[in-house]
Amino acid sequence: MKSNAAQQKIHIEECDGNEMILNLGPSHPAFHGAIRTQIRLDGETIVAAASEIGYLHRCFEKHAEQGNYQQVIPFTDRLNYVSSMMNNVGYCRAVEDLMGINVPERAIFIRVIICELSRIIDHLVCVGTNLVDLGALTNFWYTFNVREMVYDMFEKISGARLTYSYTRIGGLSRDLYDGFMDDLKVVIKETEKAVSDVKGLIYKNRIFLDRTVGVGVVTKEQALDWGFTGPVLRASGVPFDVRKAEPYYFYDTYDFDVPVGEHGDTYDRVAVRMEEIIQSIRIIQQCAARMPQGPIITADPRIKLPDKHEVYGSIEGLMNHFKIVMHGITPPVGEIYSRTEAANGELGYYIISDGTQHPFRVRVRPPCFYFFAAYEHIIKGQMVADAIATLGSLNIVVGECDR
Amino acid sequence: MRERHPRSVNFEIPRYILFMTYFSNIKTAVSTVFEGMTITFSHLLREPMTIQYPDRTPLPVKDTLPPRYRGFLCVRPEICTACTLCQKTCPIDCIVIEHSKDEELKQRVMTRFDIDMAKCMFCGLCTEQCSTGAIYFTNEFEASTSNIKDLVFKFIKQGEKVIPYKIPRKKKPAAAAAETQAAAKEKKE
Ligand code: SF4
Ligand code: SF4
Repeated sequence: MKSNAAQQKIHIEECDGNEMILNLGPSHPAFHGAIRTQIRLDGETIVAAASEIGYLHRCFEKHAEQGNYQQVIPFTDRLNYVSSMMNNVGYCRAVEDLMGINVPERAIFIRVIICELSRIIDHLVCVGTNLVDLGALTNFWYTFNVREMVYDMFEKISGARLTYSYTRIGGLSRDLYDGFMDDLKVVIKETEKAVSDVKGLIYKNRIFLDRTVGVGVVTKEQALDWGFTGPVLRASGVPFDVRKAEPYYFYDTYDFDVPVGEHGDTYDRVAVRMEEIIQSIRIIQQCAARMPQGPIITADPRIKLPDKHEVYGSIEGLMNHFKIVMHGITPPVGEIYSRTEAANGELGYYIISDGTQHPFRVRVRPPCFYFFAAYEHIIKGQMVADAIATLGSLNIVVGECDR
Repeated sequence: MRERHPRSVNFEIPRYILFMTYFSNIKTAVSTVFEGMTITFSHLLREPMTIQYPDRTPLPVKDTLPPRYRGFLCVRPEICTACTLCQKTCPIDCIVIEHSKDEELKQRVMTRFDIDMAKCMFCGLCTEQCSTGAIYFTNEFEASTSNIKDLVFKFIKQGEKVIPYKIPRKKKPAAAAAETQAAAKEKKE
């Protein structure tokens, strides 16, 4: 019996006379990012597959060790670049938990709103691009129209369209702008319309059903064995959601459901995502209704930059300002694993602090890595076209997978 | 393995039912196509979402950007205190400030303030902690150039010496701060 590593490789010598080897990726229009899967084909059927990652590796963890705690925030933007806000929030939450900081309520509510908006755009992008792979281009425009509106909102909040760097340790960098709530209402309305449009276009469409029902099945046991989380796990029938299982940011006080699939095929994954968008809208509405007034960043002098009038007006303010910028934030010695439910699943940050201003280690548990590791097993025995449909529904974001 | 779709034709059923399914399939095909078409047609008459960039927009794009937009950085050396906090806080070291004691003027002067905009990732950490508001984001974003060295912005020309800003002695600090802020606002406008 061959070793596991040897099985992974696909060699040209192993091919029978009829078989051929095909490279999907690393830069292939149907592949969502720079990832590569080598497949051995018998006609159209995939006999064996081997995945490879690393084309987008940017040394996130090493960078994080070099900088101080605030300086890691811009790098987390580049993990899941479809929903950067969630990475910002996840990282800041980990450091805050490590330091035992209480974040003001307003900041928490704003964080929940931007997280759920990010989840909506992530799912819309996933569903839209997945449908493009299946040949349904129209849905792509409908979903991306909404995404564009959310991007405009985020641009007004944070100043950037993709790499927001919006949160800070202990709170947020900026408060909401005037008129945010009106924009939110418009966006929610448009999202609902887009979701119902897309549902109307695909759910009864014969081509869509034929291309997705029973394709790329991940059973309940497999999903658990492979360490799946998020919508893909829920589509396989496991009702696990970090927001319910380990509530943070008052998620236990919101009224929302966790949609669960039955068969774990591509159709269920699309359907679960569509349903989650609706649930996210529910959370946003409740959150907006409960939004308190108050500060957006903690008053803890260890991390908060003093107000500008203090910096000008008092020597203590000035010294504090310099101390925080020059020496950074120094959490106590310790380690923490903090997880949030990101759009693709459980996004965990494991941070070790040695008491200095640099993190000793920042490890990210990306949801996508586990999907892509299992991808080669899922597509075995399928057609090439089904493999593409499966990949789209797993929603692999390479920025997060490779880091 | 691939299962058959629940609505696809099962060949083991009697012929007459098959015949019925044939027609019901046609009916579903027509009705679903019609349903899809109503949705797409409802979008046909809406206003387009796209704009033609760069020359056919009613306003230049940079004038339509929100006030918090993070475009190129700009520095006003005259109110910079040469504290080098922005240099320290930048995660990727794209700000270079040089300052030294000048013998002629008998005080500290800044001789260099470069920002490498090709490296900058527009994160906003530097502007946030600048105590005088000397470094700030503009709405400019069109950066294409054939020479990457053009993107190193030099805010102090070669050979020029800039005396760092100091709060004037006689005024109260708060008043001076207000003045600086007013000046900053004026500049931005
Ligand atoms: S915006 Fe960020 S990357 Fe650019 S100069 Fe400022 S701190 Fe450095
Ligand atoms: S721009 Fe601001 S932070 Fe940078 S050296 Fe000048 S005063 Fe200090």
